[in-house]
Amino acid sequence: MKAAGVIWVRSAFAEPSETVRAAVDEGRATILVEAEVSPEALRAHCGLITGTQLDQDRALVWAGWLRAWLEAGGRWVVNGHLLRPILPEAAPFVPMERPGRADFVQTRLAEHPILAGIAPELLEANRGVAGFYGRGHNPMPPGAVAVTGLGPRRVPVDWVWPVGAGAVFSHAGNDLWGAGREHGLGPELTARCIAWAGGEGAWR
Amino acid sequence: MALIAISSGTYYHIETLEGARAPRVWDAVLPPEALPDATLDPADAIFIPCRSPAQRLVAVAPALRAHLDRGGTVVAMGESRSDLWLPGVVFTPCPTNWWWWLEPGADLGVRVAAPAHPLMAGLDAAAVTWHLHGHFDPPAGAEVLIRDADDLAVAYLDAVTTPGRMVVTSLDPCYHHGSHFMPATTRFLAAFLPALRNWAVEGAPAPTTCPDAQG
Repeated sequence: MKAAGVIWVRSAFAEPSETVRAAVDEGRATILVEAEVSPEALRAHCGLITGTQLDQDRALVWAGWLRAWLEAGGRWVVNGHLLRPILPEAAPFVPMERPGRADFVQTRLAEHPILAGIAPELLEANRGVAGFYGRGHNPMPPGAVAVTGLGPRRVPVDWVWPVGAGAVFSHAGNDLWGAGREHGLGPELTARCIAWAGGEGAWR
Repeated sequence: MALIAISSGTYYHIETLEGARAPRVWDAVLPPEALPDATLDPADAIFIPCRSPAQRLVAVAPALRAHLDRGGTVVAMGESRSDLWLPGVVFTPCPTNWWWWLEPGADLGVRVAAPAHPLMAGLDAAAVTWHLHGHFDPPAGAEVLIRDADDLAVAYLDAVTTPGRMVVTSLDPCYHHGSHFMPATTRFLAAFLPALRNWAVEGAPAPTTCPDAQG
């Protein structure tokens, strides 16, 4: 894949963060809205990043050609609950049943460049309240590798899935870069998502 | 006479508007961009769920205003910057304290201010309490429905600014219900959505698309 840089899908009203804007300025990211993510736009980029406010009705039209782009080497960081079959293997989201505090304890089940070296407990709570990181999982397609497990049942809130020459990193919770805010991890997590989706490092 | 929900296609809109855990009271679900070309009756009510991306509503603000000017009803939930796309909305955000309940016996102080209003049927203090995002300065003549601990409006009905009716709140139940987070928001929707339907499109037949739905 000769394409370079990632598409940062802007779904929310808020301006993209300083980290994203810096990546745009450096030519490593392009900000598009859902309707602008065409086969041509994807082919011109090697990565795709979507947030929790993704319009899944609009994104559903990607389903016809997203898979081929992934198999050709594209990488997608997807945040949130997949409810529409944009990737049919990974939807719909499965919520945890009546989770308690113990169900939000995180276990790193596999190393991944996006989370490498970040202690799971730094991502677990915000001002003492847990549950923001995730409360369930998007179904793991065959061949996917669980990265972060929640609670004693190791609910795979984060997983990575190799698709041909490409890969999908699924984080089934609030935007990953919103985790660890107390510890100032937001910019680092944003930068890592952009780097990984942009082709840096191994798929896992 | 219809109750129309505006979906931005986010997972929490899909879960709230289509999922089995909340009353499905809608006659139609449309994306914001469909509003300008939609055939709306003045008796129709438009429900805009919380955390709708504001830029998509700003783009259709003239259609919302036209509906209000014809006597229509618009319901705007929180965290969508309704001050940018509805007339006369004056909003003051506040830092959100989502850990207030960690202290034993804590009370956020949110209260139903108009318990006799049909929109508040079945709602008590517990069902309107999860956290706050800000308050409004409603125009003279508006009816405050829910107040915070400082007696400031967090939900009100404005039938004076336009010929229509606006229900405006800073509460964001759809996001949390749709995220399977904060059970009070599910209780809120279980009471508010049927109350909204009864009030906004009173006399209308139940929607035929989801006849089985009740919280």
